[in-house]
Amino acid sequence: MLRFIDARCMLGNRCIIREGDPNTKEDILELMDRCHIEKAVVYHAMAKESELPGGNMALVEETKDNDRFIRQWCALPSYFGEYLSAEDFFAAMKEHHVTSMRLLPKTCGYSLRPHVIGKLMDLAAQCRMPVFISLFEELTSDEVYDLCKAYPDVNFVVGNTGYRENRRLGPAVEQCDNLYLGTGNYVAHCGVELFCKYYGAERLVFDTGLPTGSATAAVSLIGYAEISREEKELIAHGNIERLLGEVTL
Amino acid sequence: MNWEELVFEAKPFDGLLVLDVHGHIGAHRPFQLGAYSAAQVAQTATRMGVDAVCVSSLPSIVSDWKWGNEEVAQACRDFPGLILGYAVPNPYYEDCDIAPYLSMPGFRGIKVHGDMQGSLPLNDPRYFAAYELADKQRLPVLFHAWLPSEVAAATDVAKRYPNATIILGHSGMTARAAAVQAARECDNILIDTAISSTYDNAIEVLVDKVGADRVVYGSDISFFDCIHTMGKIALAKLSDTDKEKIFGLNAKELFRL
Repeated sequence: MLRFIDARCMLGNRCIIREGDPNTKEDILELMDRCHIEKAVVYHAMAKESELPGGNMALVEETKDNDRFIRQWCALPSYFGEYLSAEDFFAAMKEHHVTSMRLLPKTCGYSLRPHVIGKLMDLAAQCRMPVFISLFEELTSDEVYDLCKAYPDVNFVVGNTGYRENRRLGPAVEQCDNLYLGTGNYVAHCGVELFCKYYGAERLVFDTGLPTGSATAAVSLIGYAEISREEKELIAHGNIERLLGEVTL
Repeated sequence: MNWEELVFEAKPFDGLLVLDVHGHIGAHRPFQLGAYSAAQVAQTATRMGVDAVCVSSLPSIVSDWKWGNEEVAQACRDFPGLILGYAVPNPYYEDCDIAPYLSMPGFRGIKVHGDMQGSLPLNDPRYFAAYELADKQRLPVLFHAWLPSEVAAATDVAKRYPNATIILGHSGMTARAAAVQAARECDNILIDTAISSTYDNAIEVLVDKVGADRVVYGSDISFFDCIHTMGKIALAKLSDTDKEKIFGLNAKELFRL
C-alpha cells in the first residue's frame, strides 16, 4: 500500500464554507486516515485570508500536539514594519520548526520581483527551503516560469495546477529544473502518465488541496496511474521528503 | 465490496456494474487533453473495469456536427458495448437531423452544450427538434449544466418533454442548490458527478438531498481522468447499495442495458 504525504493542506477557520466541507482539524485527520495519508504540509487559513502574522502563530498552536502536521508559514515581504524582516522571519521559522514557506502575491498584493521578495528568496536558497505557491489563485503559468527563472536556486512547488495548463506549464517544467508540480488537481486523462514520460516522476509532488480539494480523488489518481511502483513512491512521498529533507534551517 | 482494498490496491472495478454517463472523445482546441481518442478512452475504461462509457464528440459540439457524430458512430462500431454514443445537435443548422444517428448501434441519447455553442440557452427553440426526438423515444439528454441558469433551462426542458430523462452534467457539484431544486421539481431529472475538483463529502451531501436513485456516475473523460471520480465515490461515506446505484444501476435502466 502506498504511503502518502500531502504537500498542500490548510487548517483553520475559513470565511466561506460549504455544507459537508471538512472544516475542522478532526475532519482533516479523519480524511487523512481514510486515505492513508501519513502526514500533511499545512498552513493556516487565517494567514492566507486575513491576519498573516497571527495565522502563522495560530498554526504553531494548532499543530503543537500532532506530529502528522508539517508546518508551513505564509510569507509577507515586510516594509513599513508590517511584519518580521526576512532575517527575523527565517529565525522565527527555525524556532518553530517550520520547514517550508508559501507565497501569496495576489492575496496579499505584493510583487514577485527581486526588489520585493529578493531577500526572502536569497534566504530560502541558502537553507534549501522549498517555496510553495498556488496557480490561478496567486499567479499565472507564465509567471511560474518567470518566478523559477528569477530565483534559480530556490525549489518551487506549484499546486492547484488543473487540467488545462499543459501547453503553458509543460515548457516551464522542461526549462526550469527548480519547478515541481502538485498532483491534486492535475486530473487530465492520462496526465500523470504523460508527465512522467516526458518530464519524470521526480517533478511531481502529491497534494490534496484539503479542505477545498478532495483527498479521496487525489490518492486514487496516483494509486491507479499507469506508472511504475517506484514512480508512485516518488510522487506519493519521496519527492516531498527529499525537498524537505534538504532544508538546513 | 471492500472499497478500501479496491482503491488502495488499485484493483479494477470488476464485479461491479460501472456505467459512465458523461464522456467525450476527440480533440479540443483551447487546451491539450492528455489522451482523447476513442481507443485511449476505451483502454482506460477497460483497465479500470468500467463496463461502458457514453461519449459525445467534442468536434460535434464545437465544430462540424456531422463529422463529430460520425466519429462517435465509428467509436461505437470499433468498441461495441464499451463505447456508447450521444448524438449532438447543432442549433445553427436548420438541416441538422440527428435522428439517423439515434437508430445506429451504440447510440443511447443526446448531448447538448449551449455554452460551447455561442452561449445559447439550452431551452432555445432551435434545440427543440432534438428534444422532441428524446421525448418520443424516451431517451436521456445530457445537459452541460454548470451554472444555475443552465439548470433552469434544463428544468424548463424537463417539464416540456416529460418522457425524456434530463441528466444535469456537473451541476450537482457546481450549482448544487439549483440542481437539487430541479430534481425535486421534476422526476425526469438525474444529476451526474462530473467535476474536475471538488471537496470530499460533496457527493454524500448530494445523495442526502436527492437520494442515490437520482445520482449517476459521470467522469467527463477525456477532459479528466475517470479514476479520480471513481475513487471519490468508492471512498465516500455511502452505503454499498447507494454506491452501486450511482456507479451503474441507475444508468443501466436509463440506457436500457
